[in-house]
Amino acid sequence: MKTSDSALVFDIKRFAVHDGDGIRTTVFFKGCPLRCIWCQNPEGISPKRQVMYMKSKCIHCRTCETKAFGHQLTWVRDHPELNFTYYGTYDNLVKACPAGAIVYDSAAVTRQELLDKILEDQVFYRDTGGVTFSGGEPLMQGEFLLELLKLCKENGIHTAIETCLQADTDFVKEVVPYVDQIYADMKFFNPEEHQKYTGVDNRIIRYNIKLLLESDARDKVTIRTPLIPNVTAEETNIRAIASYISSLYPEVCYELLNYNDLAGAKYPMIGKTFGMPENTRRFKAHEMKKFYKAALDGGVKNLITETKAKERK
Amino acid sequence: MNERIQHLKEKMLREERFASIEQAKIITRIYQENEDRSIAKKRALAFKAACEEIEIAIDPEELIVGNRTKGVRAGVVFPESGCSWVNREFEDLPNRPQDRFSVREEDIQYFREMIYPYWNNCSMEEGIRREYGEEIRHISRVVKINQTDHAQGHICPDVGEWLRKGPSIIRQEMKARLYLIQGEEREFCECVLLVMDGAITYMNRYAKLADRMSVDYPEYHDNLVQIAQNCRNLTSRPAQHFGEALQSLWFLFVLLHLESNASSFSPGRMDQYLYPYYERDIKNEGLNDEQALELLECLWLKFNQIVYLRNRGSARYFAGFPIGFNIALGGVDADGNDTYNQLSMLCLQAQKEIGLPQPNLSVRLNQNSSHELMQKAIEVVARGSGMPQFFNDEAVIEPMQKELGVTLKDARNYAIVGCVELTTSGNALGWSDAAMFNLCKTLELALNHGVDEITGEQLCEDFGGLDTYETYEQLEDSLRKIIDYYIDEMMKAEEVVEKAHQKFLPSAFLSCVVNDCLERCVDVTRGGAHYNFSGIQMIQIANLADSLEAIRKLVYEEHEIAREELLAALRNDFKGYEMIQAKLLNKAPKYGNDIREVDEIGAKWAEYFRERMRGYRNYRRGPVHTGMYTVSAHVPMGENVGASADGRNSGTPLADGGMSPSYGRDMHGPTAVLKSVSRLPESLTTNGGLLNMKFLPEFFETEEGRNKFETFLRAFVDLKIPHIQFNVVRKEDLLAAKEHPDQYRSLTVRVAGYTAYFVELDGKLQDEIIRRTAYEDI
Repeated sequence: MKTSDSALVFDIKRFAVHDGDGIRTTVFFKGCPLRCIWCQNPEGISPKRQVMYMKSKCIHCRTCETKAFGHQLTWVRDHPELNFTYYGTYDNLVKACPAGAIVYDSAAVTRQELLDKILEDQVFYRDTGGVTFSGGEPLMQGEFLLELLKLCKENGIHTAIETCLQADTDFVKEVVPYVDQIYADMKFFNPEEHQKYTGVDNRIIRYNIKLLLESDARDKVTIRTPLIPNVTAEETNIRAIASYISSLYPEVCYELLNYNDLAGAKYPMIGKTFGMPENTRRFKAHEMKKFYKAALDGGVKNLITETKAKERK
Repeated sequence: MNERIQHLKEKMLREERFASIEQAKIITRIYQENEDRSIAKKRALAFKAACEEIEIAIDPEELIVGNRTKGVRAGVVFPESGCSWVNREFEDLPNRPQDRFSVREEDIQYFREMIYPYWNNCSMEEGIRREYGEEIRHISRVVKINQTDHAQGHICPDVGEWLRKGPSIIRQEMKARLYLIQGEEREFCECVLLVMDGAITYMNRYAKLADRMSVDYPEYHDNLVQIAQNCRNLTSRPAQHFGEALQSLWFLFVLLHLESNASSFSPGRMDQYLYPYYERDIKNEGLNDEQALELLECLWLKFNQIVYLRNRGSARYFAGFPIGFNIALGGVDADGNDTYNQLSMLCLQAQKEIGLPQPNLSVRLNQNSSHELMQKAIEVVARGSGMPQFFNDEAVIEPMQKELGVTLKDARNYAIVGCVELTTSGNALGWSDAAMFNLCKTLELALNHGVDEITGEQLCEDFGGLDTYETYEQLEDSLRKIIDYYIDEMMKAEEVVEKAHQKFLPSAFLSCVVNDCLERCVDVTRGGAHYNFSGIQMIQIANLADSLEAIRKLVYEEHEIAREELLAALRNDFKGYEMIQAKLLNKAPKYGNDIREVDEIGAKWAEYFRERMRGYRNYRRGPVHTGMYTVSAHVPMGENVGASADGRNSGTPLADGGMSPSYGRDMHGPTAVLKSVSRLPESLTTNGGLLNMKFLPEFFETEEGRNKFETFLRAFVDLKIPHIQFNVVRKEDLLAAKEHPDQYRSLTVRVAGYTAYFVELDGKLQDEIIRRTAYEDI
């Protein structure tokens, strides 16, 4: 469980080359205040450790069945179906499964352990790369994150965060000085839609965006909108967001992220169902153009497109 | 690539590949006519005769001429080193799984009646077989002794010196010495004169042919006249112009192959020694970069016209007839400053445009490598031909001094031969491909009472088995004893092979371009070179480390698997023991994931092996050192190793490369792989190391991606890893190429230390390349 000394991390991805400048290590924290129906990292939503079953690794040896307590699982045809609402731990199954098909989605890591992990790739960071904190929602880690960011800066590591900005404004203010790059999502302009698809309205988010874009830190910020077909990917939405953020800061960097059609793969592993229709696809290059146009029409000058990641100032 | 180059390339690839016995006939005749003379003299006479008689041809569009057969890419039968395998396999050449050649019926008959009967008893191969064949066979499941039936090659001659002198001056200098020396030295000197005469004649014949053709092909008249003039000039004086220098360089390599039929003679640091010619012509002769590039591209095509005929077994270890014209661009100069020039850039451009397997192009990197050169090299890597490969000055120069006693100046001037083998330039017989030592097999024997898990044969003394070792340390003790035993046997065999090369393959022509042979009047095979090394390859650290760590942790530390249970699982290739296999695969850490404990096990055993080598000297009184590369040998060597404790099935390939992790076991991306590899000390790979990586082409599409790749390479330099190479190709491409080979004839992939045509590789090797880890999510 999370205490101020450790945090639950569900992935540490090295050689992350799409999460900021240079070669980076991205740390994914558990726990998110939003419930976006298209979420790519569903295991990141809950702040609790969960068990996962990876069908592709299973060798169907039934070891888990023989080692299971009461309600942990049921064996169905050739595979176990885990009871994800089981109240106890799954230590027995995780240990017993020879194939590593039953695993926990995350592990509790101390600040020092995380820092050591981040430092492993320091030789690759050089002038440009560093660490990116993502999730889930990194700002939900509170004090832990703040102290970790300070440690990173003490070690000369470039820091970035990917955040939805649904967070306490005072805390955002506290964190910003230790972050070199901020990727903040603005998914909808309209609060009702935001409420409908993410579970919260966007008042706090808009307030925080305004705060950031009007602060000295505004050049660190990139606003991002994930293009979710038939959800966020509407030209009116993009134009409204673009016009809002550029009215706050005309030089704002704005990035449109294409839909990731592999996003649904992880849902079955944690016993959940993906909220997006199955055959939803990425946008083709020519389809992306109309969204770019909407963003430019909205007044954005620094648009980051798929093919050409813009040089930052 | 202009129209001329396009034409020449197409013509070359279209031409059928034949096995050729033309030179074998000449050599046999000369040997028969000179029975009473020494082998050295016979070899020199046979070389001279070949220069005079071999049928030659010029394509009127060529700007650089010369080949050792009339047709291109012929498989030359070379009887002196060995032809019993040709006798056994001649009919198979068109149908064998790897490296096929067409054959002419009449050649087979002539070979069987006239050539083979003569050599059956007096080739080097026969000599070695008679003296030590049984012993070599006895250790062959652990040690593969190389160079038993062909000349060694793997030499970087002093091309700069050859360009400055040419055959006429070398001839003059030796003639002046002839009367001052006696005995063996004098004979050596006489042989040099013979081979230089041959070289001059050979160049002259091209001059004459070009003259004649200039009349027959009026549309190419100027071209052919220029060729005739270049060739004629080179018979009497050193090269002066850039075009002459390239022609002279190519003649040198053709003649080296004519003498030795060896795999790999390397042009080395071409951008350095050719630069003065290029610069002079740019300044004074109105040469422009477009013309210089065209000339280089003509040479690039030439590098693809000489291939190497290997026997069926060897073709599997070294698939795709790699001939190893290795060119090393960039790197530090004699003072340690980074150096590259416009010619380096043009060489990269030539590779980018031509994209064929040869030359084997390498770029030397160091901490001060320029952004310009690196970006150009990355552009070429992005084309997907697997080249250039990268070498790291920071990981090569210092160990070369420390481990091999090479001077700082020579170490800074290192070049690459064969695939990834390191050498000094122009003054070493590195014998870098001496033997391959299968460490995975020794572990199998240590676990299994010295019994071969596959055949059940008792291969070496029984030092115990997993069932008798109460502790992990006992296992390590036995493993040490078995490694020691095979090292000892291997080094005895090495001595026999080296002696045989001295006896059967003295090489006067080669000796002319390897310092200090001429000064000392000692043939290169007899230790005439300034440096004399032997290199042994350690196969395969990834599997060995993963296996030992799995045993240590799961058997001895955690008691997760019982000793008898593991032994039974291995003996049954995990059939009925799938849970054991799953545990081995999933419950123990693997090399390639930046996990210190397992990486250090690999380093520890490699260092043990390296340390043992310090106790030996080769027959030329030089040091024996180690390398970590397999070429394609991880496939056949894997066939020879039973199920292993890393979860690998019996007979399946070992990890590829040499320093690379096992397929699919590196789960934390390329930076973790580099970190793991960097734990292998550079002293282990003074003979060369090999690290394969596969990247998807998308990575190179944006400037941002290419810059990140440069960052990755700079970290590779800082981590002091000696070598890295990249396959940039989609899995779908490879699958499609396997399905429709006709549509993918020019698709090249990195096999190991070299590039080959994918469609010409054995199906098994194709599958294995497809399986190699791709970092698909980047």
